[in-house]
Amino acid sequence: MSTPNGTFDCGHDLAELSNYLDTGELQDPAHLDSCPECQAGLASLRRLSDLGKELLDADVAEAGKGTDGWMQKILGNLALELRPGRSIPLRGGHPDDTLSQTEGAVSALIRSIADTLPGTTAGRCRLHGDVTTPGAEVTVEVHLAIVFGHPLEERASSLRRQLARELAVQTELNITSIDITITDVLEPQPAGPGTAAGLMDQTPPQEKP
Amino acid sequence: MSGSPAAPHQLDLVPDALLAGRAADGDTAAFEALARRHGPLMRASARRLTGSTADADDIVQDALIQAWNQLDSLREPAAVKGWLMRITGSRSIDHLRRRRYDAGLDAVETNRDSRRPDGAGSWPDPEAAALDGSRVEALKAALSRLPEEQRRCWVLKEFNGQSYEDIARTLNISTDSVRGRLARARIALASTMEEWR
Repeated sequence: MSTPNGTFDCGHDLAELSNYLDTGELQDPAHLDSCPECQAGLASLRRLSDLGKELLDADVAEAGKGTDGWMQKILGNLALELRPGRSIPLRGGHPDDTLSQTEGAVSALIRSIADTLPGTTAGRCRLHGDVTTPGAEVTVEVHLAIVFGHPLEERASSLRRQLARELAVQTELNITSIDITITDVLEPQPAGPGTAAGLMDQTPPQEKP
Repeated sequence: MSGSPAAPHQLDLVPDALLAGRAADGDTAAFEALARRHGPLMRASARRLTGSTADADDIVQDALIQAWNQLDSLREPAAVKGWLMRITGSRSIDHLRRRRYDAGLDAVETNRDSRRPDGAGSWPDPEAAALDGSRVEALKAALSRLPEEQRRCWVLKEFNGQSYEDIARTLNISTDSVRGRLARARIALASTMEEWR
């Protein structure tokens, strides 16, 4: 049906069809409807592509799970550098004291509060405004994912109240607004014993010597 | 900054974009959830590109460190998977270049690059693999007989999901070269596989 370098009688070749598969670009796409050779060539490339996906699946399965020991080992080696962000000055009990907390600690606090509400997980948490100047107006931006079925408005307003309270206690920031955006509504996960989520609660992380 | 009480399974259930946003804020737990989620694909790609299971884990580790340090440059958090795979691809290629340099294997690689895909040799035999009954095994064998540069293009495209432009940047060649090498790889592979349909 084709010469060794893949050129068909119609003048097209497999290289063009390979490009067409990736980009959808071909000079005369209508030609494909009427050319058996090009159709066969495309079918052959698609079978190869399917087989490639099978190989990929097999290789990923062979690579093991992300919760397995090999990944634990890699994560243990990472020693990720912390990103503290900006330094937020705090009033000391004594005039000579220089105290501060980090922006990273405040966003971690915000995440921890959001994560403990039922069915919610925090996303991005940002402090906008000049946090390095005491008393400067600061707005808090929180992205939130909520599991489907939980009351969205109620979770958001409850989080806003808790954040206002905790941030007033644990920081000296002059927070003028707390903007909560629900970015995701998550599929509910069955969480009984024997399900994936339930198992993860019970199974301790694998330790490898 | 990993003091968040979010249980690991909670983070394992949320979308990539959310994890990437948290990780960019400095949440190591969210970054580790991304690593657990995409690590197997990164490892599979690195193994297929380098042909080495031992090197692949070093590559995954290097790629994750680079990703953590460059999270600010990730404009679209939802695209974090493709971004991780691009980093894994370039770390793998760097590794191959370094390995070739370290071992002085230039000559061997050049010979291999100039081999015709259907050339005889000691590489795994697609025919034998196909007769064993597994078309996936036959594809593995056919892949291993491809010229190195073609195989790299094929894996970066089919495993890492990279665009022609990304592959061109990773391999430091032109987009047209990528198009050509990928087409030659596919033609050789398809022709081998068609014989064993």
